[in-house]
Amino acid sequence: MRADLRTVVFAALFGTICAVILTVVGRWAAPHRAANEKGEEMRNYLTALGVPFDAKVSAGDLISVFDRNVRVGTNGNLVLYTYVPEGTTDPEAIAVSFAGMGLWGPVKGVLALEPDLKTIRGLRFYQQEETPGLGGEIGSDWFVGQFKGKRIVDDSDEPGFKLVKQGTTPDRNSVDAITGATMTSDRVQNMLQDLARKVAAERMNRHGRSE
Amino acid sequence: MAAVSKGAACGVCGAGKCKETLAAGIRGNNPVLVQAIGICSCLAVTNKVENAMVMGIALTATASLSGLFMSMIRNITPPRIRMIVEIALISVFVICFDQILKALYWDMSKQLGPYVGLIITNCILMGRLEAFALQNPPMLSLVDGFSNGLGYALVLVFVGCVRELVGAGTLLGMVVLPESLYQTNLLFVLAPGAFFTMGLLIWLVNAFGPRKPEKKP
Repeated sequence: MRADLRTVVFAALFGTICAVILTVVGRWAAPHRAANEKGEEMRNYLTALGVPFDAKVSAGDLISVFDRNVRVGTNGNLVLYTYVPEGTTDPEAIAVSFAGMGLWGPVKGVLALEPDLKTIRGLRFYQQEETPGLGGEIGSDWFVGQFKGKRIVDDSDEPGFKLVKQGTTPDRNSVDAITGATMTSDRVQNMLQDLARKVAAERMNRHGRSE
Repeated sequence: MAAVSKGAACGVCGAGKCKETLAAGIRGNNPVLVQAIGICSCLAVTNKVENAMVMGIALTATASLSGLFMSMIRNITPPRIRMIVEIALISVFVICFDQILKALYWDMSKQLGPYVGLIITNCILMGRLEAFALQNPPMLSLVDGFSNGLGYALVLVFVGCVRELVGAGTLLGMVVLPESLYQTNLLFVLAPGAFFTMGLLIWLVNAFGPRKPEKKP
């Protein structure tokens, strides 16, 4: 009976100590974490849009660079991030964010387009949990680097984008998929196709208004 | 391996057990090659040398610290709930480590990704607490955790080198075998490559490696 009591008391004490340590560390880290996560998102928007910034700046500074250069506007279900360089009035690039399910978890990214809303300026994935070394390569420079200058419309201006098998020559609206990561590649392709359709609708919308 | 009996060594390593303990984890009693624990993560994170190194360092730190603290509370821990206590202790360390990384070293935390959380599930941690820290003084347990972590890290990095070189023709991301000369081998990037490499390594070490005679206590 005494042993049982000792066990219970020890468990309660030990559990309380662990809980207190975790709470203290968690509460202390929460604001830092949130700032870092926000900064990370900003960094990806700025990189995709091609906004010049110092790679070593803190999360807080990134947010202020973002606020000075990027205007955020919602249009229907599409959030548009327009890069208007500080001191000028003409938009230099427009970014749209996208999200979808990858193989293991959510994939979030940002696609930056030239003002024509057809040509890709940059692409970044800022959240993904794909298999490291395989699907995880969507975050690598070689993969996202392929997108620059490609178009999210085909030759007859229909919206669409493809990830094709490595070895075939990618055309104006396709890039190499990742070998060994067919599932991730397929899902990313679907996200981009979906996004291309949404952007096409936004493009029609703009032309409609300007005419 | 030579089990150090309770109270035989002094607070630090009076009986000269430090060196012995340190060598055991790396050679005679290597966690992966001899004890055959921690294999799961060995298969998962060795497709790149970089991943293997980071995981090795993180595990060594956790194994050392959890060994130290478990040994400190070994005499007041009720035997019936000792395993739960072990896991709770390991989890607290790993979660704190993860939170601190995310708050202060964001770039490193990004690189480690999901691996930090996976440390908790590594059998080496609990295995060493059960087998060593519960019977030995704190500083010696710290040395034991460190040596087992190091032994694990060395195997991990070796397997990582083989897989990255054979699989992708690179080492630490640098191209060693250019693609024009070398056809990359996807099998080694994927999980089966790890099974082959690990299996061969364990066989080679146990068949031809220096065999340390088991010491009787």
